Amino acid sequence: MAFIKKQTSQVINEDERKTPRDFNGLCVELNHEDSKVRRWAVRDLAEQLNASSVLVTRLEHEDDASVRTAILNALAKLGDTIAMNGLVACLRSEEAALRNEAIEILKELPYEVEPIIDGLLTDADSDVRIFAVNILESLRHQHVEQWLIGVIEKDPHVNVCSTALDLLSEVGSELAIPAIEKLKARFPDEPYVCFSADLALKRIEEGSR
Amino acid sequence: MSSIIISENDFLKFKEYFYRKTGMLFEDSKRYFVDKRLIERIEATESDNFRSYFNTLRFEASGDELQQLVNAMTVNETYFFREEYQFKCLVNSMLDEITHKKKDNSPIRIWSVPSASGEEPYSIAIYLLEHWSGIDKWDVEIMSSDIDTKIVAQAKRGHYSPRSVMNLSKPILDKYFIPQGGGYQICEDLRQAVEFSRVNIMEPADVRTFRNIDVIFCRNLLIYFDDTSRRQAAEMFFDSMKAGGFICLGHSESMSRISSLFRVRKFPEAIVYQKPLEAL
Repeated sequence: MAFIKKQTSQVINEDERKTPRDFNGLCVELNHEDSKVRRWAVRDLAEQLNASSVLVTRLEHEDDASVRTAILNALAKLGDTIAMNGLVACLRSEEAALRNEAIEILKELPYEVEPIIDGLLTDADSDVRIFAVNILESLRHQHVEQWLIGVIEKDPHVNVCSTALDLLSEVGSELAIPAIEKLKARFPDEPYVCFSADLALKRIEEGSR
Repeated sequence: MSSIIISENDFLKFKEYFYRKTGMLFEDSKRYFVDKRLIERIEATESDNFRSYFNTLRFEASGDELQQLVNAMTVNETYFFREEYQFKCLVNSMLDEITHKKKDNSPIRIWSVPSASGEEPYSIAIYLLEHWSGIDKWDVEIMSSDIDTKIVAQAKRGHYSPRSVMNLSKPILDKYFIPQGGGYQICEDLRQAVEFSRVNIMEPADVRTFRNIDVIFCRNLLIYFDDTSRRQAAEMFFDSMKAGGFICLGHSESMSRISSLFRVRKFPEAIVYQKPLEAL
């Protein structure tokens, strides 16, 4: 047989981490031309509490997807204000992949998202407000329904309201009924809103029987 | 007899949500299976009805109940040659591509995680011996790890019930196993072919020595992780693999839903995921 056993004391010849892993050294490697070196720097910086700022700065011009993913995951792990601001900034990116990755990560951070979600849901940019509703889609937080009700009560943009309404048809309770009725009245000429509102009301009523 | 009823609407709601969270899609034909387990969890959590249970499921910050439900909805069973199409893919497609691109004679490294009681790594070894001519030319290193030391010890022992070997033909059984104590003992050569170890894949120190892996089998494990842990695991696998290496997940799992680090590869036998050769 040509099976061989792994040597547990094997030297790892191709480990990209060749330099000391101190903060300053890692910051230098964060700008290395080799994406593998940058990626390892990010992975090791994720263990350092004060790393958010340098990671956010790197994220702004990082073009390698594997390094970018590592930075986003590191920011999620660090979860401080700077890291959260860095993730939120991705929502304004023109790049759909980066936006989507940030949304997926923010969905998993209920405690960190709570203090910033009101700001996102009232952002001047309606696209950002839609992304904020997208974050609520899987956010494990007891206030999700309340936040969604707030959106359909107040948001002036039909697409933002429609996105929230779609989600309310899944998570809404009797509490959402008055706001859904009012939304229909607010957008009487929008067939999709009326259709979604009726569907949400039907589902809520069926669920409460 | 429970008084809790799962309505059609409840089922649809649950089905959509569960698919989004786990990638597991239940057809209407599975309705009885799903209802039964949902009702069990509704009762176990002392929820009043489906709606209150669904709220717990969706909004509980810890995600514990979702995990309980995933456990209830998945069948935790392993046996030799389970999901055999991936082993076929290994010997017919993946290994040829790997050896074709190899620039030296270094061993091909295969990592099976979790090892469970060893059926998967031993299946890989048997499959290579039986169906891959390259085994005469190439050295192969099969590593297998699990977080549970007891199960690792069991895997090293290599003793199996008749149920575990139900998919194996008599010639294979005769060749690689010895009937023993109402079960089957795997032969010493195969026991020596696999290096078992205790590893927590979420612990960087544990996985640091796993590098330059050509093929990873990680089937039906990530389904038990939350989204954050799945992404961390994907990062760890990415770092442990050679560029161009492959990772095989369970049939209900999709790396595309977890991470954008890997490329989807469609082979005739199976869909697997590949670490790109070039920077992303």
